[in-house]
Amino acid sequence: MTTTAQIPLTISEPEKRSRPRGGLSRTLVSYSFLAPWLIGFLGLTLGPTLASLYLSFTNFDLLQDPQFIGTANYERIVTNDVKFWHSMQVTFAYVVMAVPLKLAFALGLAMVLNRGIAGLPLYRALFYLPSLLGASVAIAVLWRQLFAKDGLVNVALALFGIDGPSWISDPNYSLYTLVLLSIWQFGSPMIIFLAGLRQIPPDVYEAASIDGATKVQQFVKITLPLLTPVIFFNGIVQTIDAFKAFTPAFIISEGTGGPIDSTLFYTLYLYQEGFAYFRMGYASALAWILLIIIACFTAFSFLTSRYWVHYND
Amino acid sequence: MTHDLNRRTLLKAALGSAGLSALGSLPAFAQDARIRLYWWGSKERADRTLKAVSLYQERNPSVKIDGETLAWGDYWPRLATQAAGRNAPDLIQMDYRYVAEYARRGALMPLDEFLGKSLDIGDFDKASLDSCKVDGKLYGINIGNNSNALIYNKAAFQKAGVAEPIDVTWDKFFELAAAVTKAHNGEYYGTSDASAEEVAFENWLRQRGKALYTEDGKLGLNEKDAADWFAMWAKARETKACPPADLQALDKNNIETNLLTQGRAACAFNHSNQYVGYQVLNKNPLGITMYPQGAGPNPGHYLKPSMMWSIYARSKVAEPAVKFANFTVKDVDGAKLLGVERGVPASPKIREAVAAELDAQGKLVVDFISHVTPKVGPIPPAPPKGAGEIQTMLRRISEQVGFGRLSTADGGKQYVSEAQAILSRA
Repeated sequence: MTTTAQIPLTISEPEKRSRPRGGLSRTLVSYSFLAPWLIGFLGLTLGPTLASLYLSFTNFDLLQDPQFIGTANYERIVTNDVKFWHSMQVTFAYVVMAVPLKLAFALGLAMVLNRGIAGLPLYRALFYLPSLLGASVAIAVLWRQLFAKDGLVNVALALFGIDGPSWISDPNYSLYTLVLLSIWQFGSPMIIFLAGLRQIPPDVYEAASIDGATKVQQFVKITLPLLTPVIFFNGIVQTIDAFKAFTPAFIISEGTGGPIDSTLFYTLYLYQEGFAYFRMGYASALAWILLIIIACFTAFSFLTSRYWVHYND
Repeated sequence: MTHDLNRRTLLKAALGSAGLSALGSLPAFAQDARIRLYWWGSKERADRTLKAVSLYQERNPSVKIDGETLAWGDYWPRLATQAAGRNAPDLIQMDYRYVAEYARRGALMPLDEFLGKSLDIGDFDKASLDSCKVDGKLYGINIGNNSNALIYNKAAFQKAGVAEPIDVTWDKFFELAAAVTKAHNGEYYGTSDASAEEVAFENWLRQRGKALYTEDGKLGLNEKDAADWFAMWAKARETKACPPADLQALDKNNIETNLLTQGRAACAFNHSNQYVGYQVLNKNPLGITMYPQGAGPNPGHYLKPSMMWSIYARSKVAEPAVKFANFTVKDVDGAKLLGVERGVPASPKIREAVAAELDAQGKLVVDFISHVTPKVGPIPPAPPKGAGEIQTMLRRISEQVGFGRLSTADGGKQYVSEAQAILSRA
């Protein structure tokens, strides 16, 4: 960065005149390489996003033209929608449980893998596998086999004399099975943690152990502080992901959010309103509220980050 | 510099030709009719439909039919999205539940002008035609009729040494079901819990002279009706005729996860044309009979089009699409390929021709419809806007009662108050 910034200062006059042409061609070339992404972003992301902002102020049933109704959708959402608050509660519970547990689990495994054990690439790939599987129909079937009344989990519990409930279809526990599913897919934060751990110079640990620091002290005083940029990054990405979580609940409850709306994620509620009940205007308003919540949350994280994230520079 | 420029020109040329080829892939050569056909259903249905399509294309080389199929749950969101983009398929498999919503919102084409010309369904009985009308206009072509049907595992009843639940009252039905559970040491239940199934609820309501909705789209039942329904199933849960709520909640409202298919209960409350689909997934021979009966004379059952063909209002190939639809319901060869998998054909001539070549399961379905036909009542009015949401709501309240979070009386109150709120909003 610094070197390129210095170049213009040393450029002689004639070369300077030719710069705009070269710059323009460069710009053109770079934009044409960016074009596939740009077209996708403008056409498939920004355009629809702005359209949904307009739709959120309308009554739109998909088949007839939208009618402008001002802020009525937003008013109803905050004053007269039990399901909105309920799905909000479910989603926050999910985020609060799933994100820290997933990060802790990913960090723990990354530290184990970082000890330089043999066959590291193999383990790394194996642990990443669940993330690749995502939330598919196959996973839904697997989860049912594991967490149903006579599923594997209860068979295991029975060995200890515990008679477990039907985890996945009992409204008291079904959300936890989705949290577990999220933790199980710890692959991508783990890979990032692993890269972060590699960045910490080993001589710091050496010095610490010579000074008599225990493993726990080393973890708290060295690993964690030096890893905060990575934790911050993973935290933001995973939190946004968790707020937007849709497929696990959709697949496992087959789109109902059941039993008794216990897995009715915010996005699932939004989907039902828009696509099952033809209230696309209302669903757009719900989407914008989620966008604002995520934006606030991210902004808050960035603002507080200066107090706890230590960049190594 | 020149080198750089050349590379740039090359890039532009490449981009240009990519754009051109994208244009070229548009269907610009439309001298032939190209019909987009859209339906929901199982693989069995897809196989049958595609066979009919290829026979039709063979006979009409100028027509090209592109099929698209999805499962029920994904089908409607996608159709709504395509209709919003003014890009819905030409020929749409439509359900009785949705036809009024789509027709009244101007998404479907009235078919009256085709009647007697490319649409030759004059021999359909009045009920089969009327059930496809909305506000006096024909919006659908009846592909086949069905009715509510109780599908049950014969072996489970035999093992328990009790009679099969053929044409029994509700009381008797739960008695038999409890005996089945007992004979299987409580590990297999006599019936699944149908308190969340709107089809069963509606049938039961009709038996007591009520309905889900009135002609003018209001709620056709009161708090006591709903509470009695929940109470009846609560009692069945107590006597172990049906499974506890946490087991029942594994049922995700499709054939694959129904407790009958899952090998946990002996009876499923469903529709007659789905018998074929259930038998494919069940090792044990299945029986098919009417839902349990009420004490009074009111029939719970009615015949309805299990599905219909509708034409998208903006379709440019409406005439060819109607012709293909006509082929599937009025041409002996076309109708035979569909069989009774979409219900029993409405045309008497076609029904006879199709029945003559059916397998044993298909015959059972036809016999069942013949058995039910003299006992049915009139078809209820098309459900009002918001009915889909109420159906989902019934499932939630039934679960709340099942898990003991609501009393049966409160369940009834909640159903009525939520349903009224939904109807007034829609």
